[in-house]
Amino acid sequence: MFDQIDPRSPTPLYAQIATRLRLAVAAAELRPGDALPSVRQLAARLRVNPATVVQAYRDLETEGFVEMRQGAGTFVRDVQPDKRASERARQAVALVRRMLADAGRLGVSVEELHAAITEEIEVRTP
Amino acid sequence: MSNAIELQDLHYRAGKSFAFTNLNLHVPTGSIYGFLGPNGSGKTTTIRVVLGLLRPRAGRVTVLGRDMPADAPSILARTGFVPEQPHLDPTLTVRETLRFQAAFYPSWDRTWAEQLLRSFDLDERLPFGRLSKGQKGKVMMLLALAQRPELLVLDEPTDGLDPVVRRDMLTALVDYVSQREATVFISSHLVHELERICDWVGVMDNGQLITELPMDRFKSGIKRLQVVQAPPDLAGTPFTLLARESNGGACESWIVRGWEPEMTMYFDGIGASLQTVIDLDLEEGFVELLRTFRAPRG
Repeated sequence: MFDQIDPRSPTPLYAQIATRLRLAVAAAELRPGDALPSVRQLAARLRVNPATVVQAYRDLETEGFVEMRQGAGTFVRDVQPDKRASERARQAVALVRRMLADAGRLGVSVEELHAAITEEIEVRTP
Repeated sequence: MSNAIELQDLHYRAGKSFAFTNLNLHVPTGSIYGFLGPNGSGKTTTIRVVLGLLRPRAGRVTVLGRDMPADAPSILARTGFVPEQPHLDPTLTVRETLRFQAAFYPSWDRTWAEQLLRSFDLDERLPFGRLSKGQKGKVMMLLALAQRPELLVLDEPTDGLDPVVRRDMLTALVDYVSQREATVFISSHLVHELERICDWVGVMDNGQLITELPMDRFKSGIKRLQVVQAPPDLAGTPFTLLARESNGGACESWIVRGWEPEMTMYFDGIGASLQTVIDLDLEEGFVELLRTFRAPRG
């Protein structure tokens, strides 16, 4: 689930971890009551500072995605479908912004992008 | 916040070729502090001063709240050290080396030492001198961790080791830090490794600490800007301009520090246009920082 964590990215590692988990909850990859890996496990697996994992989990708790139970671990909360949908919508906007920024840098016009998106969607949807 | 290591106005001289004057460095308690710098910049010397192996001419060294070298024994009992070059007796077996080391540390954790021995896949019957470079590195890391130190000082611990060994060593290090809130002071030129685990960065060059910042501030502040039609003389830039180069024509590449998104307005004021803002990763930021630090001021 954490394969895309990139320490070289300007996005802080804790934010990358939190985003990945938020998406997993939004896509119901993680279900209510599921336990997240312990801080120790995840830090060792990603070879990141344990404080980074703690910060990601705290942010998710503040946003209501997970619950940290003292001594027991961190668990996914029952997230309402509309909250899950709005999280996916938020991620969609982030994806488009990134794409537009890349396109601008490469000199690809909005029309060209549009055409490419339409074509790709047609190819991929049976 | 207290500091696990604090160097104040340190002066040190080794012969005529190398010296540092007024070195100040702070490693916050509980941090993983990445100590960067090119070869010969003074990282190992600084580490040796911290451990009391070299005596400064002037200045104050405080480690774990105590004075170095006056309180060296009590500091070293709580400090694990992985040196650049192993200094162990090559004729002792791995098992004998462990027993030898354990005798010096009342805090030695035998159970964990055995676990590490297995997870590092080390053969306890082999003499230290017959081990491969990677196996030696793992033994050194094991010895430093099994004493359960409050402070770990690592001098290029993974230098010249293969990626699998480096990964095993760093995983063990991170695992230790999550069990116990230890402070880690780690020098390396494998910048990407530090980028993952460190929350503080210090950069040394030529005997000077040229920057010391939390990792996120170090990374977020340095950018490369593509600017068109900038006037030759600039006054009152809201950021620090580290370097400015022509890319041909009216296009220039700027390396800046202390960048904030609102600062795009500055370019309207000077009649230039800002084309793009490019994020630099730790390695690029490090290289640019050194390049500009070394450039003659003019």
